[in-house]
Amino acid sequence: MHQPVQALPSEPPHAVVFHGSRGRFWKLVARGALLEFVTLGFYRFWLTTDIRRHLWSNTSVGGDPAEYTGRARELLVGFLIAVTILIPFYLAYFLLGLEAERLQAFASVPLIFAFLVFGQFAVYRARRYRVTRTVWRGLRFSMTGSALAYCWRASLWSLLVALTLGIAYPWRQAALERFKMKHTSYGTLEGRFEGRPRQLLGQIWWMLLLAPFALVLFVPAPFLYAAFRAAEWRWWISGIRIGEIAFHSDLTRKALFGIYWKVVGWLTLIFAAVGALYAGFIAAAVLRGGQEPSEVEILAAAQSPAILVGIALSYLIAGVAAGAIVRVYLSRDVWVRIAATTSVLNISAADDVSGQGSLADPLGEGLIDGFDMGGI
Amino acid sequence: MDVDHKEPPSPTARFHDGMSSRRRIVALVLGEHLDIVEDGQVIASWLYADVRRVEAGAGLRLRSVSGAPLARLEIEHEAAAALLMQRCSALDDDVAEIQTGRIIGWSLAATASIVAMVFLGIPFAAERLAPLLPHAAEARLGEAVDKSVRASFGGKVCTTAAGQAALDELTARLDSGPAGISIQPRVLDADLQNAYTLPGGRIYLFKGLLEQSRDLDEIAGIMAHEIGHVRSHHITKALIQSGGTSFLLGLLFGDLTGSSVVLTISASLLDASHSRDAERAADDYAVQALVRLGRSATPFGDFLRRVSEEDEKGTILDSHPVSAERLDRIRRTDRPQVGEPILSAEAWTALRTICPRPRTTPRKTMKRRNL
Repeated sequence: MHQPVQALPSEPPHAVVFHGSRGRFWKLVARGALLEFVTLGFYRFWLTTDIRRHLWSNTSVGGDPAEYTGRARELLVGFLIAVTILIPFYLAYFLLGLEAERLQAFASVPLIFAFLVFGQFAVYRARRYRVTRTVWRGLRFSMTGSALAYCWRASLWSLLVALTLGIAYPWRQAALERFKMKHTSYGTLEGRFEGRPRQLLGQIWWMLLLAPFALVLFVPAPFLYAAFRAAEWRWWISGIRIGEIAFHSDLTRKALFGIYWKVVGWLTLIFAAVGALYAGFIAAAVLRGGQEPSEVEILAAAQSPAILVGIALSYLIAGVAAGAIVRVYLSRDVWVRIAATTSVLNISAADDVSGQGSLADPLGEGLIDGFDMGGI
Repeated sequence: MDVDHKEPPSPTARFHDGMSSRRRIVALVLGEHLDIVEDGQVIASWLYADVRRVEAGAGLRLRSVSGAPLARLEIEHEAAAALLMQRCSALDDDVAEIQTGRIIGWSLAATASIVAMVFLGIPFAAERLAPLLPHAAEARLGEAVDKSVRASFGGKVCTTAAGQAALDELTARLDSGPAGISIQPRVLDADLQNAYTLPGGRIYLFKGLLEQSRDLDEIAGIMAHEIGHVRSHHITKALIQSGGTSFLLGLLFGDLTGSSVVLTISASLLDASHSRDAERAADDYAVQALVRLGRSATPFGDFLRRVSEEDEKGTILDSHPVSAERLDRIRRTDRPQVGEPILSAEAWTALRTICPRPRTTPRKTMKRRNL
């Protein structure tokens, strides 16, 4: 049933080309981080939109750059709607948790899974927003499908993955990707997913075995994670079909090693700096009194308004800086590596496609923001 | 007219009409309007003032606000692009539409209102709401967290009948609150020198405190202090306050989940008496209760100081120690002893030995001072 897609003899594979400069992206992210700091985070809707516009429009497929037509205002509205939905949800969660705790201590812990399930709903809706804001050659991608149907599929598959200690992961990914791609189209070209789970398992089985050791030893973890992501993305991209158009990825794990290590390094640096700052604040406040400080003095110092403001500020700075690092390395650099190693087969199938899709609402994006599960 | 109708620079541009993905190679005629010409036929005509730039990696990409929404014109020929751009007066209006100043202004306004809510609105609401909450609701709240809080202290409840009877009697004498809403005092079998209160009237006294005390008035002061917390709904107020605050701050930072809500309640409960005002009010209640029974509050104050001095290895996470200010206030409002002991000598002994002797080695858990 699976046939390797081959380019028509007359048609060489088309490379995906990324034009954007890293310097410009850095500038975009640095300015965004500054504004995020000034606006205490509200600027995130505009920054996310700018980043997507930059990544989309600098990525050319078959000689034509893509376009992102989403608006920051839509994300803001999506967030506000999500808040109104989440408030009753939280209230219900809170009351249920109380009742559960009344019967049995810590009985409310499994309720966290309710969030994970609901999160899948948000993931699907957010993907729909992004897909329908993606334009290429003047034609919008479209996506349909029920987020609820996806939500329970994803949850059941996750359960199976947990029960099989990860063995079922490739089957989960394939099933969910089939669901997503089945409901994705470019004009009249229907999407589908042809990646075979066994093929993915063949590439990642040893990583599943090594994962527990890597987590304990820490140092190998970024290597293993890079290898895992590379294998999965390669498999995912090579499995995507849109009509007769197919994709092929040559992403290597080596291309990702550096990225993940740099992220680990930067984040460690940021958090060490903030930790030192905390300690400094408190030490300065305590030592001002001279002599050996009593418990009362330490407490009073730690709770003085100046210290609290200082701690809040450094928390904010650390968050914003970490956000910038993650965006530059994990959003942009990974994107660029993937683009550079992806080629498109049978692109002539997209030469004359018609049928505009309709736009989806930004609710899913708002929910994801509310859940703090950000991505690109 | 003549000048404008000169031959367009060729080969010029790509056009996508926003209906199909077909790439049309077009010529541009810069006349009164921008005419987009394919095979000698004008397929679109754009007003210069309507032309907007759309970000593209390489080359110039344009759209028209009055044309098909997704129709795009892509020009890679630089001279042609420059020529056209001269005529388009509103090329970058899309970018100008995003006014950073307005975003900053509104964000700061939103932040200010959230901060005002946190510092003024929520404390006010908590102050007013907590007493209005039906007792059943408060009791339910207390019941919900009871098990996990007790478990976190690793303590069993001591249930010797005579001891419990003495504790109940002590509580009843100290309590001046409305009848019908009962307070349920218990002694926890743990070595900590501490006591805490849950919403709805559960008071837990730690065995460590009983062992440390020298006379009944010391324990009576502690109990009266905790009863004061119950009668002023301090814990419920603190709960509303911390819940509301973390929710609002979550909104601000875009993280609405935070961590598991119910579990964090346990922690917030223990930190409930953080508020200085609440402590002061509870102290006042204790002194009044003791004075009403003709007892002096001096032993209570001494006991607080003794207990907090002994416990030197406090960390920042431990809540407030007994401040000099609190002791001073207790001393000022105190009256000399005039009445009989609150409990009989036998009852006091029963209370002190409420936990059965051959005791299991108690688990040392976190040290917290919530007196």
